[in-house]
Amino acid sequence: MNNTFDAKRFGRLLKKTLLERPMQTLGLTGLLLALSLILYSVIKAFGGFNPAQNITFIWGLAGGGCFLASFVFGYFSSNAMGSSFLTLPASNFEKWLCGVLIAGVFYPVIFLLFFRLVDSSFVAIYHHGLDSATPFYKQLYESVYIFDLNGFVAWKVYPMYGFLAGSMLVGALYFNKVAFIKTAIVFSMLFMVVIGINWIMATLLFGHVNNAGPFNSVTIPAGKEEGTIELPSGFVGIINNSVWYVLPPILWLLAFTRLREKEF
Amino acid sequence: MIEVQNLSFGYKKRKLLYKNLNLKLETGSIYGLLGKNGAGKSTLLKNFIGLLFPKGGNISVNGYTPKKRWPAFLETIYFIPEEVYVPALTIEGYKKLFAPFYPLFNEEQFHSYLEQLDVHDKGKLNTLSFGQQKKFIIAFALACNTRVLLLDEPTNGLDIPSKIKFRKLIASVFTDDKIIFISTHQIRDLDNLIDRVIIVDNGELLLNASIHEISGKLCFKSVKELPETGKVLYAEDSLKGHTIVIENTEKEDSKVNLEHLFNSITENPEMAKSIFQN
Repeated sequence: MNNTFDAKRFGRLLKKTLLERPMQTLGLTGLLLALSLILYSVIKAFGGFNPAQNITFIWGLAGGGCFLASFVFGYFSSNAMGSSFLTLPASNFEKWLCGVLIAGVFYPVIFLLFFRLVDSSFVAIYHHGLDSATPFYKQLYESVYIFDLNGFVAWKVYPMYGFLAGSMLVGALYFNKVAFIKTAIVFSMLFMVVIGINWIMATLLFGHVNNAGPFNSVTIPAGKEEGTIELPSGFVGIINNSVWYVLPPILWLLAFTRLREKEF
Repeated sequence: MIEVQNLSFGYKKRKLLYKNLNLKLETGSIYGLLGKNGAGKSTLLKNFIGLLFPKGGNISVNGYTPKKRWPAFLETIYFIPEEVYVPALTIEGYKKLFAPFYPLFNEEQFHSYLEQLDVHDKGKLNTLSFGQQKKFIIAFALACNTRVLLLDEPTNGLDIPSKIKFRKLIASVFTDDKIIFISTHQIRDLDNLIDRVIIVDNGELLLNASIHEISGKLCFKSVKELPETGKVLYAEDSLKGHTIVIENTEKEDSKVNLEHLFNSITENPEMAKSIFQN
């Protein structure tokens, strides 16, 4: 018997995971999608298409994904449920993969499809509602377009989602109860510490610092103006890639290590 | 077979609950693990199933290392914790999702055990009473036909008729290729069920003996006056005098009273050790 991965066993596990707690997985996904739709409609009504698209995309993918990720391994709030999960005859890898599939593949794919559907519908309704006889028809038509899932904002959100959801997966395996809140607190504290260290380092190097947001928003007074301290060009890519593309996979893999070593 | 070699375990690094524990559990026995609250009974069970990892030493269950939680190992062992978990599924739904993980699961047996324990299909499992949920899990666990069955306080939450049915069922399903390991502080619930007794206290193994061995070494009887000679491990006042547990030097036949045995061993561990070592 393969004690790491068996396709048949994994299929059973996935089915069990989805159907055992449908409210937590399917229900929560449905709720997050519904909230995204409401958010889009409300923001569009008050702020227009662009903020509606951006905010809904950020909230739905990064926010919703991280919320769902915190529930994927949410078995440890009770002794009985945690024991049942860990002693089920499936490998640690399969249990982890199941969580990764739900939070890292199924949800994003469902959300992206839903978002595209909602966005296209709203944009289409707007376009159809325009009077082609008006003088500014072309201008008005072109001012609203479907959100580019391969655009600048999207590519800022994808790694953000990977980072936040990965943190939540790890957090759910460290904190048995109210994992979402506890992870959010730890995450905020770590963020504050990083800002603090960045500020101390910047102060030591430049004396007076106006702003010390890690890592590319360190500003110092330059006469009456404000100057931005930029990282050496070679480092910018390394730092950005590390934070956005290396750290998330590490977090997702850390969840596997943590699950394997989980005692309950 | 479960083999424990020099097991050390503690929830805190500096305070070990078990230190160099050695234990060998052969197949073909129903073991009763007795101990006071907080003696480490559940902890030991959790080490056997791989929910807790030893800080030192080794545990082997049917040749597997529980810590690795391999599916091949988990298929051969079922652990029923004190508080059971049932999702919002019907009996049929639960069976469909969970039974395929256990290759020896027998559906016919499952329904028969449910019948014997008076668990009937009344909608979602999570709406059943705690006792009913527990009986459901017991029926499911038995139908899985695993080689090792670990039960942590299985009779907690069961009413008196259910406790009797539970005992009958366990006795009827037991076969020589299995180990059933029952941990409890409700000693009377194990009467006439177990054939080996393990007593732990303060992380120490005080006794691991068969009922036959115990009745050969100890005598459980009522006397009008306490004997002046002999090793009296335990004495309790009763209406007709005293109920005592004494070293069985006269080779008398007596029925093992688990409650008195437990008190004897925990109150006089050294004396008990000397009797059982001879």
